[in-house]
This record gives sequence, C-alpha cells and structure tokens, in this order.
Amino acid sequence: MADAKWNMELVSAPRTRGDAVIADVRGDIDLHNSPELRTAIMAILSASKSKKLILNLGMVPYMDSSAIAVLVEALQRLRRDGGRVILTSLQPRVKGLLEIARLDTIFALVASEDDAVSL
Amino acid sequence: MSAPESQSSARRGGPQSAAIGPLAQNRLELKITSDPANLREVRTQMEHFAQGAGWPPDICDAIGLAVNEALANVMRHGYGGARDRPIIVTAESVQGELRISIRDWAKPFDPAGLEPRHVGDIRPGGLGLLCMQKLMDVVQYERLPDGMLLKLVKKARSA
Repeated sequence: MADAKWNMELVSAPRTRGDAVIADVRGDIDLHNSPELRTAIMAILSASKSKKLILNLGMVPYMDSSAIAVLVEALQRLRRDGGRVILTSLQPRVKGLLEIARLDTIFALVASEDDAVSL
Repeated sequence: MSAPESQSSARRGGPQSAAIGPLAQNRLELKITSDPANLREVRTQMEHFAQGAGWPPDICDAIGLAVNEALANVMRHGYGGARDRPIIVTAESVQGELRISIRDWAKPFDPAGLEPRHVGDIRPGGLGLLCMQKLMDVVQYERLPDGMLLKLVKKARSA
C-alpha cells in the first residue's frame, strides 16, 4: 500500500506472504484506540484481494472487548468471501479474553507468523 | 451522592485517586471523566490495588479487565461517547472479598433488560457484560434516580 491512512504505531503497514496479507499490531488496545485499530484493519482489507488476514499480536499485552469486536468484524467481512483471520503470538491476557468469549475456536490461533502462513 | 463537578479531561494528571477511610490501604476511590483515555490508568490502579491487598495475579488481571469493561459500557452506552461526564470507581478489599462499585450519572436504565451475549456468538458487540459475568462472582446493577450504580464482587477462593 502506498499511503497508509491510519496510526502506523498501532498497526504496521501490511505486507504479503503467499496468499496472506499480514500486519503487526502494537500496544494496549482498548476503547480509547480500538477505533484506530478498526480504521487500519478495514483499510487493509479494502486494499487487499487476499482472503487470509494474519494479525501478529505478539506486541499486544492487553485487549478489551472493543478490540475483540474489531477482530470479529474483520472475520465476518472475510468470511463472506470464504476468507479467514489468523491471530499469532497471543499474549496470555489476550488469549484469556478470547477464551472467555469462546472465540478462541472461531479464530485460528497459532504461535508464529510462519505457522499462520502455512495454514 | 450528587455528581461531582465535571472535570475537564484536558486537565493533566488523569484519574484522581484518594485513599479514604481508617484502613486506607484497603480502599481506593478514583474520580474520572468519561474519556476512554482514562481507561488504562484506571485498570492499572485497580490491578495495583488488588495486588497490594494480597490478591493473586490472575485475580488482579480479572479485576482490571472487568473494571475496564464496565467503564467502557458507561462511556459508550451510558454517556453516549461524551468525554467530560463524571464516573466514580471505588474498590475495597474486605473479609475475603474484593468489592468494586462504579457510579455514573448517565440516564438510568432497567437492569432487567440487560441480556448477556451467548458465548461463541460471533458478532462484534455485547462482550463487555459477558466478560464481567465470567470474571466476577457478583455483577449487580442498581438503578438510581440520577444514574446507575454497578457493584462487582470477587470472592477469595476457598482453600
């Protein structure tokens, strides 16, 4: 993508590997900045033809439900075209939240970006 | 309790905290505005309070998340996104219980109308109440003439 129109400190410029579009997410994400997360992810999906979105969450120590809602929205959007969202390197708190909501079986959760690309 | 004077979120310093009461170390009160920028500081202070009161790390994390979710609901739904409205958060560690209250002056609603989302329900919204109910032992909304009072309680696990 030529010009990213979102907070690049929160979500990196996307890159492609194989059939996937990949972005790195950084920092605590709550209601304060989850709208920025949404802006970034929706822009990435709009600009990409890939049906496989990989989000590296290794640098995200905390997410709240507003952030999870953004991930769910991305999943719903991709699923319409048979796509998927893969989350990598989840920190314990983030994984715990997904488990509370039983969304840990809805998203593909893997340890690394390499694992995600090979799925 | 009447609404505190509105505090501009432009004031630096973030949430105001005060240790109140004869056992100051067992009670924390935070007065904040409904600006989501305050969420991180509040959950950090809540987690530190719980840790200082001797609660285990997993409970401290749960407290931080539950309080965050409760506050986010007030900010988003109660106050409709307004960032300058008052919220008071208190925490007490008493007799094996961690008791938290969240007072707002938003439009009161009937708690009986709240319906938690079903687990695994794949839609963007409605997770906050589910999280609170999963993380806390008691989640109780009280409708007041001028707002709402939410009580959250975590009980120590029996040996």
